[in-house]
Amino acid sequence: MVESARIEELLKRPLYVYDLPPELLATLAPKTTNQVPAEPDSEPTPEDPESTVQELAIANSTSCSLCKVPYQNVQEQRSHVRSDHHRYNLKAQLRGNATLDEVQFSKAVGELDESISGSESSESEDEETDAGADTTLTALLKKQAKLSQTNEEATTVKRGSPKHPVFWLSSSSLPSNKSLGIYRAIFSNVEQDELGHLVDSLRRKQLAAVNVRTDNASSPQAPNTSNPHMFMCMIGGGHFAAMLVSLAPEIHRKQGGVEERQARVIAHKTFHRYTTRRKQGGSQSASDASRGAAHSAGSSLRRYNEAELEKDIRELLADWRKEIDTAELLFIRAAGKTNRRILFGQYDGQVLRSNDPRLRGFPFSTRRATQAELMRCFKELTRVKVSEVDEAALAAAEAKKREEVSKPPTPRPQPQKPKMSKEEEAALLHTTQIQAMIRRSKVPALMSYLSNNSISSSFTFQPTDSPQNFRCPTPLHLAANLNSSAVVTALLTRAGSDPTAVNSEGKTPFEIAGDRATRDAFRVARHELGGSKWDWNAAKVPSAVSKSDAESRAERERKTAEDEETNRRKAGMDRLKREDVERATQQKFTKSGGRTLGAVEKTAAEKRDEETRGMTPEMRMRLERERRARAAEERFRRMQGH
Amino acid sequence: MAVRAQFENSNEVGVFSRLTNSYALVAVGASENFYSVFESELQDVIPICHATIAGTRIIGRLTVGNRKGLLVPTTTTDQELQHLRNTLPDSVKIQRIEERLSALGNVICCNDHVALVHPDLERETEEIIADVLGVEVFRQTVADNVLTGSYMALSNQGGIVHPKTSIRDQDELSSLLQVPLVAGSVNRGSPVVGAGMVVNDWLAVTGLDTTATELSVVESVFRLGEMAPGGGPGAGAGAVNKESIVESFY
Repeated sequence: MVESARIEELLKRPLYVYDLPPELLATLAPKTTNQVPAEPDSEPTPEDPESTVQELAIANSTSCSLCKVPYQNVQEQRSHVRSDHHRYNLKAQLRGNATLDEVQFSKAVGELDESISGSESSESEDEETDAGADTTLTALLKKQAKLSQTNEEATTVKRGSPKHPVFWLSSSSLPSNKSLGIYRAIFSNVEQDELGHLVDSLRRKQLAAVNVRTDNASSPQAPNTSNPHMFMCMIGGGHFAAMLVSLAPEIHRKQGGVEERQARVIAHKTFHRYTTRRKQGGSQSASDASRGAAHSAGSSLRRYNEAELEKDIRELLADWRKEIDTAELLFIRAAGKTNRRILFGQYDGQVLRSNDPRLRGFPFSTRRATQAELMRCFKELTRVKVSEVDEAALAAAEAKKREEVSKPPTPRPQPQKPKMSKEEEAALLHTTQIQAMIRRSKVPALMSYLSNNSISSSFTFQPTDSPQNFRCPTPLHLAANLNSSAVVTALLTRAGSDPTAVNSEGKTPFEIAGDRATRDAFRVARHELGGSKWDWNAAKVPSAVSKSDAESRAERERKTAEDEETNRRKAGMDRLKREDVERATQQKFTKSGGRTLGAVEKTAAEKRDEETRGMTPEMRMRLERERRARAAEERFRRMQGH
Repeated sequence: MAVRAQFENSNEVGVFSRLTNSYALVAVGASENFYSVFESELQDVIPICHATIAGTRIIGRLTVGNRKGLLVPTTTTDQELQHLRNTLPDSVKIQRIEERLSALGNVICCNDHVALVHPDLERETEEIIADVLGVEVFRQTVADNVLTGSYMALSNQGGIVHPKTSIRDQDELSSLLQVPLVAGSVNRGSPVVGAGMVVNDWLAVTGLDTTATELSVVESVFRLGEMAPGGGPGAGAGAVNKESIVESFY
């Protein structure tokens, strides 16, 4: 009883297949009740028995002449005729190829590249549907044309009837309604064949956990290939994830001597490339194959990315060749033709072979290929499932010969929002009030607020992590930053604020003061408070100045500034006056010309031209004559005058 | 009962008609004699539907059916399908099949329990056949010929296969189908027995050229002399009396 109680206790923790507690392992026995037997095909016999008495009797054939397969009765014959083997031979005969007997056929299926692929068109994530007989046959027939004689020891047998993926064990020290489930896939093919010895092989599989000291972090994590390990990879939709994981668990010692077992990942790698056609679905190569190559930018991108992904993956596999070759099991999810070709297609230095007896699909549905998903799959595969069935359900299960697998629930604590304390609420309120008053330079109000609420001089704004409080965590910082010297003076002299406080950038209030008046406020405060009150050097405040000094200097500066201003004004006025005078003289000068601005002196010829414009030639001639006459008179007069 | 008939001077009655235990289809044409053969035997027993498939008269080669259902090729028009639905009993399921091998009568041979089909038929089609006709489907050849529907005539009582089918193949097929089979011919030596005749459990119609010997083989293998329509268990009485009747003719 004590023993069983202990085992019950053990079941509460997740159990690792390769490291089962010895007391549990000793009591394990295979559970036979729910090994689902193959359903006998119930076929109606259309004939009544009396028909056989007729002279034209129904023949009783005992073997298939095509396949050389013997059978006992009609049921066997019919199931044989339906089998891939018969259908393959039928087509082979029609094509004039040699027919295969049973052994040859199973060998051919084992060598077949695509033998375990799902439906070719399906791109779905869960590829764990048993291999469609149709595709197997089609693939076999396709391959048959180029059936090469690369005769490796193909030990894989045809995966015929679908088996239950989980192998159930019971333990004598457990109540009858509890059973332990282990995935069939983690056993080798040979071990799966001899079901009676499954528990023995499970015992052989047990590995000692590796102790890992926490201080050897610096030691190189060299992949130790002598340890049993498995290779897992997934491809789908341009995502690729692969992982080499050691089967021996690591024990990490945590604080308080708590041992924690973890899977030891020897190596892992993920790739992602944009290869899937968005919104259309499917890969670019599939689309090209079905409706011809598209010439869009996106399609060429995807084509390039597919090629690159293939290159990346094959390089990675080549890098890991040694580990993959020594791996116990290869768990691979690669749905679809393109993905399978990347891994299993014929290429130089091929690492994975589709007829590898270690090859496994994931016996459950998996999500997008990521490192986390691989880790989840590893845990799912290696965790012992604990199934608990109550009596009524057990009876139902026996009727249905099926059992519900209940996984141990993983409690996930809901992260709760931390409750705010009263003080924090009050601090928040003060922050908004004080900030508002500093912004508006309300010095008396600020002082009375600080004294009324008895806010300490070392008050900092809340919440400290908000962005506006990053640069100005204290009232003094804020006042300095806003260049309000009056508030700075008041805070330093009357509220006793600490000028040495630094903000998140490590700056004191003096350093973030923006103008001279504010800086002077600090120096005056240094003078008034005296050098001993604060460590002024730490506050980066330079030497003290008295208020009168500062004021006189300010006065002096104000005077010089005023003088400069008056000088400047005077100079400006002078310049304006000068300019006015110049302009006036300019105007006078231009007016004396008596002409409109921009007029050009005309020559005598031009003037004449202008007068004659618009006249008839006779008029023009008369005018010319008159003019010459006048000129002649003028000449005569001048001659007489002289 | 085995009778001879001709469709517009053609002996291939299996091409122009389809006969099952619950209905008969005959091609629309000018052969009034052809109709009257069917009508005289089947009137008031099962419906006779005058039909075309895709506008053609070779309905026997394009369709396949049994007591439970009828399969028509994808080329069948909606009007034709509606006409078939209106004429045939409601218990007969009619289904149009998307299949590359559209001459369903050539590639499928069936009775009410089993069907032998062309090895290259699509899997979906195989499933539809199983569902609609309620049969077990086997991909087989008849005398190394893929056209099972052309080279085999099958009823629930028996079947005739291509005359050159080996004894071994006959035995295998007979064992598979659980009906007696003989290798035989119709229409004066034609090997296309499926296209040369139509047969159900109580009636066979062969071409007018069929010899008496061929006809007697047909009658014996399909056990037509002893079954009356709606015969049932008592029908066997005819077989018992047969010997004496034949003797009285001598």
